[in-house]
Amino acid sequence: MSNLQRSFAKAKLAGLPLDPPLPHSTFEEQEVTLEDPDDDLKPLPDQKFTDDDSSSASSASSASSTGTIRPSPTNRLFARPKGPPSGRRPLDPLLWSDFFDQELYLDNPRAHEIVTHHVYLTLPLEKGPLFVTHHGAGSSGLSFAMLTSELRKALPNSGVLSLDARGHGETTVKNTGQFTMEGPLNLSLEILSQDLLDVIRLTQKKLSWSELPDMVFLGHSLGGAVTTDLASSGKMGDVLLGYAIFDVVEGSAIDALQSMQSYLSTRPRGFPSLSAGIEWHTRSRTLRNTTSARVSVPSLLCQENLPGSTSGDGRPWTWRTDLAATQPYWEGWFVGLSKKFLEAKGGKLLLLAGTDRLDKELMIGQMQGKYQLQVFPEAGHFIHEDQAEKTAMVVADFYRRNDRSALILPPKVGDLLRQKS
Amino acid sequence: MSDLDKWIAALRACRTIPEASVRELCYKARELLIEEGNVVQVDAPVTICGDIHGQFHDLMELFRVGGDVPDTNYLFMGDFVDRGFYSLESFLLLLCLKVRYPDRITLIRGNHESRQITTVYGFYDECLRKYGSANVWRYCCDVFDYLALGALVLGTSSTLEPSPLEPGSQSNMPPIDDSIEIEIMNSRNEITARFPRSRRRLYDHELTSSSPPNSPSQTQRTSTPSRTPGGGPPGTSATTSAPASPSGGAVLCVHGGLSPLIDSVDKIRLLDRKQEVPHEGAMCDLLWSDPDDIDGWGLSPRGAGFLFGADIVKRFNHMNDLSLIARAHQLVMEGFKEMFDSSIVTVWSAPNYCYRCGNVAAILELGEDLTGGGVVGRSNGDLGRARGKEEVVLREGEVRSGPGRRYRVFEAAPQDSRGMPAKKPVADYFL
Repeated sequence: MSNLQRSFAKAKLAGLPLDPPLPHSTFEEQEVTLEDPDDDLKPLPDQKFTDDDSSSASSASSASSTGTIRPSPTNRLFARPKGPPSGRRPLDPLLWSDFFDQELYLDNPRAHEIVTHHVYLTLPLEKGPLFVTHHGAGSSGLSFAMLTSELRKALPNSGVLSLDARGHGETTVKNTGQFTMEGPLNLSLEILSQDLLDVIRLTQKKLSWSELPDMVFLGHSLGGAVTTDLASSGKMGDVLLGYAIFDVVEGSAIDALQSMQSYLSTRPRGFPSLSAGIEWHTRSRTLRNTTSARVSVPSLLCQENLPGSTSGDGRPWTWRTDLAATQPYWEGWFVGLSKKFLEAKGGKLLLLAGTDRLDKELMIGQMQGKYQLQVFPEAGHFIHEDQAEKTAMVVADFYRRNDRSALILPPKVGDLLRQKS
Repeated sequence: MSDLDKWIAALRACRTIPEASVRELCYKARELLIEEGNVVQVDAPVTICGDIHGQFHDLMELFRVGGDVPDTNYLFMGDFVDRGFYSLESFLLLLCLKVRYPDRITLIRGNHESRQITTVYGFYDECLRKYGSANVWRYCCDVFDYLALGALVLGTSSTLEPSPLEPGSQSNMPPIDDSIEIEIMNSRNEITARFPRSRRRLYDHELTSSSPPNSPSQTQRTSTPSRTPGGGPPGTSATTSAPASPSGGAVLCVHGGLSPLIDSVDKIRLLDRKQEVPHEGAMCDLLWSDPDDIDGWGLSPRGAGFLFGADIVKRFNHMNDLSLIARAHQLVMEGFKEMFDSSIVTVWSAPNYCYRCGNVAAILELGEDLTGGGVVGRSNGDLGRARGKEEVVLREGEVRSGPGRRYRVFEAAPQDSRGMPAKKPVADYFL
């Protein structure tokens, strides 16, 4: 096998979700055979067994070259991909408990409201780091389910705390103020950032941690803005080693906001079943990893509880979060993000899908070496779902690099000289 | 007209050459580069250039400002490709010139001369778009593996020769004399600033001097970039003026910087460079590291390479008889930036980087020592071996006399928008 072909196979296989939990069925394992050593950049003869349908031929070839030079023990070159066989793709929902150890409901009484934060948690072991994640608008804590299990493989002692933001997933807000008018949900950056801080403190209290473990923030899209905001506030102190944000850049986010309403209007209003919802997400390529869609999509939908009224169209499963109604907050989420990202203390990682969409500030910052940039050409916006394993590898490397307890720099030349003399 | 000259003519007009020609060119270039050591020896005079990043029209502007090949000797410190829209034309032109005038142009490798990086930042896509296949990209990547990792400029002069003025232009400065160490010129060949060789100051004084430290992060200056002797790039340094040696000393050129695994120039020579840029180790560090206002070594936020402080640079220069390290790799809004008492300089040659960063670019001219000082023995990291083993101590404030340096600062060429890919559609989902 030529090197190029080997690397192609490696890149191809690296894109596959390894051991996706498939409680409903077992499948025969398929051997991957690579023939045709002469034709190096040819797509695999049969891609149907892959669970990842993200790679077109061209992106696959570019992925192959991306893989050429990263010889890493975590790349499982000849791993046997397991997955649904060709032809049938089960789209049944998967349970959160396949991915996280536990869930917590954390009551948070505030001045005019009681928030019950819902979080998914996998505990760090020993001195392992805790990854604290925040999803994007309209998503949920289960968006990080796949990444959590992959992170656990890459860093076995790490933990993940993945919250549902208010108005998302199972987090609820009860208004206790004088004005009990059901106003639109307050999703300002300030509130979300405070929520994130509260969730971390409430979790610490609930689990009786005397001190917080070392933490790395992972934020996707809006979540990237929230985690960056909290990181730049300095409120986390030294326990925050660094923060990684996924596919969010101030300049291009603000450009994209103009077309967001028209995008939202093209989404179906509802689905006849959860499986149909999962299917829509994968078919529309919003999510490109079926396993991840099966665990993350169900939390985005809820069943209308008024039979016969609006669900007359046979689509009882509708969106849990009314994204269009959150429009007043959109700009506030992203304005100033690049500046905060560059200025906050700690390691910084920006993970982008497709091409690099850096705005001027981040372009200058990148070329001055202020943060780490990684681009996954073959991923969609939900980069941590589409490429969970690769994301986990990059995030794990990022943690290891920024882990102060293990920081080992090569010996200084001066020290060596002193030793000699 | 030979094939080579035809290719050069086509590429100078920003036209691509046929795939078969690229293949032949890359083959010839590889034959040539394979003979070069990891550290190429280059004789002054030479003009040192930083990142280009596929900004072809700005490369043409660079040649206009700095003089054409082969009239001017050039040393390019890598990052020819990616990000700009004409990586292919830029790199192939430089490669053609290298093959045509091997002694007049030196190319060393940048961190973007790598398969992995080019697949993400544009060069791969550009090759695919312009040729319909990845073959040309593959030929180029094979050449990347043979590019040298550094260059050592010898025979520099400590003084500046007057720049030939264009007819009609008037110098507003008095004639040059031996005391001028740094001269800054604009793209119209006008002198904008001069800095005399400063008297030797005591180290302690410098530490408490009012000039703020120069860190790469402090480059927000926007107006009159080249006239910032206070906290700006040039002239803040103290280089020793004691025994006026006509030689400006040796200058090491490398894309990124130093490595904790490399304490001498000879250690660079021992590396096996003919490979893809690794993710760690000495070769990676040379292409990825950055100087910073820290003590010793530090973690690089880039995720590869290291940060290194003034003490590291001064010690390395002292141990290797270097007067200066020239490197690229970091965007400098003013085009160039000297740090650590002028022991290291960053040269950036991509104006208005990525067509949006609003920076100017610079090239660094080092003159030739015409006094016939001849060959100066260099220690290559084993200082004092000729004298027997003496204890090596870097005395405070001891810095070799630097070469006379002329920076030419230039702005982006008017952009020809033809050939640019349509603006990428914005993401349709971004919440």
